[in-house]
Amino acid sequence: MDDIMKDRIEQLVDYIMKWCLWQFHSRAWDREKQNEGILTKTMQLLCEEPVDLETPADRCYWVDAVFLAKGFKNTYPWLATMDKKEIKLLMQGLKDRIDYLTIKGSLNKELTNPLY
Amino acid sequence: MPYHTFKCSECIPERAMHAVIKGPGEDLTSCLPLGYLNTIPGTISERGCAFCGAKHVIGAPMKDVIHLCHGPVGCTYDTWHTKRYISDNDNFQLKYAWATDMKEKHVVFGAEKLLKQNIIDCFKAFPNIKRMSIYQTCASALIGDDINAIAKKVMDEMPDVDIFVCNAPGFGGPSQSGGHHKINIAWVDQKVGTFEPEITSKYVINYVGDYNIQGDVEIMVDYFRRMGIQVLSTFTGNGSYDDLRGMHLAHLNVLECARSSEYICNELRKRYGIPRLDIDGFGFEPLSASLMKVAMFFGLEKEAQSIINEETARWKPELDWYAKRLKGKRICLWPGGSKLWHWAHVIEEEMGVKVVSVYSKFGHQGDFEKGVARCSEGALAIDDPNELEGLEAMEMLKPDIILTGVRPGEVSKKMRIPYLNIHAYHNGPYKGFEGWVRLARDLYNAIYSPIHQLSGVDISKDEMPTDKGFLTRRMISDVNIIEDETTPSSERPYTGECDIVSKLRGKTYPGSPIQLGSQQQLQLDSQQQLDGTV
Amino acid sequence: MSCELKQRERGGIINPIFTCQPCGAQYASIGIKDCIAIVHGGQGCVMFVRMLFAQHFKDSFEIASSSVHEDGAVFGALKRVEEAVDVLLMRYPHVKVVPIITTCSTEIIGDDIDGLIRKLKQGLLKEKYAGREIYLIPIHAPSFKGSMVSGYDAAVHDLVSAFAKKDKPNGKLNLITGWVNPGDVTALKHLLSEMDVDATVLFEIESFDSPLMPDKSGVSHGSTTVEDLIGTADALGTIALNKYEGRKAAEFLERKFNVPAIIGPTPIGIRNTDTFLQNVKKMTGKPIPESLVRERGIAIDALTDLTHMFFADKRVAIYGNPDLVIGLAEFCLDLEMKPVILLLGDDNQAYQNDPRIKAFQEKVDFDMRVIMNADLWELENRIKNKEVELDLILGHSKGRWTAIDNNIPMVRVGFPTFDRAGLYRHPVVGYAGAIWLAEQMANTLFTDMEYKKDREWLLNVW
Repeated sequence: MDDIMKDRIEQLVDYIMKWCLWQFHSRAWDREKQNEGILTKTMQLLCEEPVDLETPADRCYWVDAVFLAKGFKNTYPWLATMDKKEIKLLMQGLKDRIDYLTIKGSLNKELTNPLY
Repeated sequence: MPYHTFKCSECIPERAMHAVIKGPGEDLTSCLPLGYLNTIPGTISERGCAFCGAKHVIGAPMKDVIHLCHGPVGCTYDTWHTKRYISDNDNFQLKYAWATDMKEKHVVFGAEKLLKQNIIDCFKAFPNIKRMSIYQTCASALIGDDINAIAKKVMDEMPDVDIFVCNAPGFGGPSQSGGHHKINIAWVDQKVGTFEPEITSKYVINYVGDYNIQGDVEIMVDYFRRMGIQVLSTFTGNGSYDDLRGMHLAHLNVLECARSSEYICNELRKRYGIPRLDIDGFGFEPLSASLMKVAMFFGLEKEAQSIINEETARWKPELDWYAKRLKGKRICLWPGGSKLWHWAHVIEEEMGVKVVSVYSKFGHQGDFEKGVARCSEGALAIDDPNELEGLEAMEMLKPDIILTGVRPGEVSKKMRIPYLNIHAYHNGPYKGFEGWVRLARDLYNAIYSPIHQLSGVDISKDEMPTDKGFLTRRMISDVNIIEDETTPSSERPYTGECDIVSKLRGKTYPGSPIQLGSQQQLQLDSQQQLDGTV
Repeated sequence: MSCELKQRERGGIINPIFTCQPCGAQYASIGIKDCIAIVHGGQGCVMFVRMLFAQHFKDSFEIASSSVHEDGAVFGALKRVEEAVDVLLMRYPHVKVVPIITTCSTEIIGDDIDGLIRKLKQGLLKEKYAGREIYLIPIHAPSFKGSMVSGYDAAVHDLVSAFAKKDKPNGKLNLITGWVNPGDVTALKHLLSEMDVDATVLFEIESFDSPLMPDKSGVSHGSTTVEDLIGTADALGTIALNKYEGRKAAEFLERKFNVPAIIGPTPIGIRNTDTFLQNVKKMTGKPIPESLVRERGIAIDALTDLTHMFFADKRVAIYGNPDLVIGLAEFCLDLEMKPVILLLGDDNQAYQNDPRIKAFQEKVDFDMRVIMNADLWELENRIKNKEVELDLILGHSKGRWTAIDNNIPMVRVGFPTFDRAGLYRHPVVGYAGAIWLAEQMANTLFTDMEYKKDREWLLNVW
């Protein structure tokens, strides 16, 4: 992945870290579901693809995704210069990075506690 | 390495990993303090006990309940007249405190008989109250009284009462947080699903993790009601016992303080499939986003937007007036658990202040993930702070104001640093659009207090002007403020009333259609929402 | 017409008058210079008490916790105390006195702090802190016995008995004040200084009212020194003003060191202050000076303008610390008022044999009741069912809702008084205290008259 892409991903990470709470549920498996749910829908919105809204959980991911997509668009003008293929790459990179920061690389020792 | 060792704690090297300074290029995988571990004895830590977290923080705000502590009198006395969780039930829960008054003979022989008689006596003394929560204490835990069994016996004998039992003795965990956890799980285990309150709207939420300090909950519930949403229960500020038994009927759990009540939201999601939406009720941007997200979940965007427009138009000019004058002021965000992350970013964005430190008295690493994620570079984050470290931090960081509790605020007062009470608030509520302006106003009044200016003068040494009879806050704050044609004419100091909560009581709201079948209706609406909203 | 003694019959408490013993022990500890107590129990036992002190004094006090957690409760927590002592001594190099106060949890699990202290004296203190002056004092204060009053009494005794050592007579008077405010200590020291009496005051808490200094050096702590405590054995006498808050220590000094003790009375009001000064004269041989006659005269002048006009037959409820309640009741009687209900907040069996209470029973000529082991529900209930009708309540701030919801004017006295500004700065003892109390009561009644439009024109011309 080239440096521009990496830098852009970091900008998106910074936005999420400053404004969002959905990535910080208390257990690793919940964080996996949250990251997957919200970032997938965000990607779909940015790529103008249909979003699945069947279940209440879907709707809940979607509301956060709507705000994330809107925030990204308003804050990062370079997003408008990217095509769908690039956006998908970007968002996959973002998901990997968020998964790393909040799950795989996290120093939070409570994430693996089996009970709530 | 981001870890910060205080000079005063060099002799206790275990503290080394409990504080970090967020440096350039640090992220959460390298910069996170340890958290929620056993307290080091003798440090004069800020922490309290698990009983406090259970009874005092979460249990007692329930407004139509007798809150009985099973133990000696102190736990009851100490959790009475020490918080401002008001209610629209004439503050019943603020006025009374009940203890079984365990004595030495009970320690020796057990106190179950005492407890049973107490329960009956209390219901007799308050014949209009039919609900009770019983809280275990260190003493009753150690002697092994079976409170649950006694409660069940009484409920069998008195079928019109219902009793909740919370076993969270003071020693049960490193801090208050142990108590939050226990009462969350106990409530969802014992009481959720045992009662079905009336459903009056298609759109039903629980509002979780707000304790109605000075009316916070009532402010938020007002917004939701204005959108046509039924707030089935509030966990637990201004909360009603029977409403909270019906939490399982909501479509969505709107969660403010995740630190104290994410546990019940997680369990409700696991057991009933109710999604958990974490929100920030503080700050114009986050609050607007939060209200809109809740609205979007139900397809109520128009209603939310109208509220956001109205409130922003009314209050933003006043927020901006203070923000101009608070710009660059250094603040320490030193709360108990969640305000460090609710406020760390938005208070800088919207009030122009600089957060130089965050700490958490009883929080977990999760709170620090959120706090460190949101705070700026250079901020000092401290887990389980103690008195000497707080003093050293104040010397090092030279803040203009500390946002913390009463007693640490008295410590900072002596250091000539004003404080704002963010547990019980000064002149709150601080939730909501108007509330955020009230917070800004209180910060401004504290920092620019003419008395505060005078406190630094040493009359035995310093030269003082002899031609001044007084100073006003504006004379102090506006030294570098230029008001000219570019200043928006609407910018002004706070023009709200002292009491902004009472008028919400007895307010009527637009009727909303009774729900037909909650999950089906939701899916019907989902299909209609597929496009046009981004 | 008589004074009835009653006990709370309910087994439980609704709206407590007192908190538990560890609070009293902690209140004694903060009166000593270079002293930080360790409370051995859950963190709440310290956090809540520090909060309570901060509410009352609007200042913070240093007290530490041994932070007992779940493992300690199960397996014993003495190691926590050991660690607490070490950590405290390392980080606070000026600390000399470390009371170790037990709580209900650690008494129930049976932690032997006396044994631990012996061990630490031979071990940690010799090895790591050799050459440093350190005193570890065990104070047993489980919450299931007594109340904050007995906890204070026990702590004063334990602190005095730990230090008192005979050397040469020092000509001083030991004054054990009981649970008082800084304003009280100022008033008492003033009286003693007018009589030219050198006193060891337990405890020197005037410094609780500490300033906000430009050099940030202001800090609230007590000023009684180790030397003061040691020297109590060399005094020419002890006066313990409050029978229930200091008698134990006074009697100890008498027993062990032949320091004669006078117990009481609490010098509230003119008569009790007169008695106090007589006792000081008796003990020290110093005369009562003209200046105090003048002071007394000023007080009597002030009271005379109030008594038969405004105070006569006013019905009063009084609750709080026992010596305070009894002293206030006696003063109210002298002021022609009718203390119709007194509430004593714990189950101390000695109250019913207290000669001052017996005097109420024998001499009072209106319906009076003394409720022992009382809580504030005992008061509220009697107001609601009209068993008592009140013109005034004298008590601490935790009874405020009873006054507010029943529209009865209340003067805050005792501990804690957090819902009024600055009360800790003012005395209730001595002639100054008599003036302060009387004028507070009068002004409170006057404000109430105006709110209620009750002959508010009376004050037009007074």
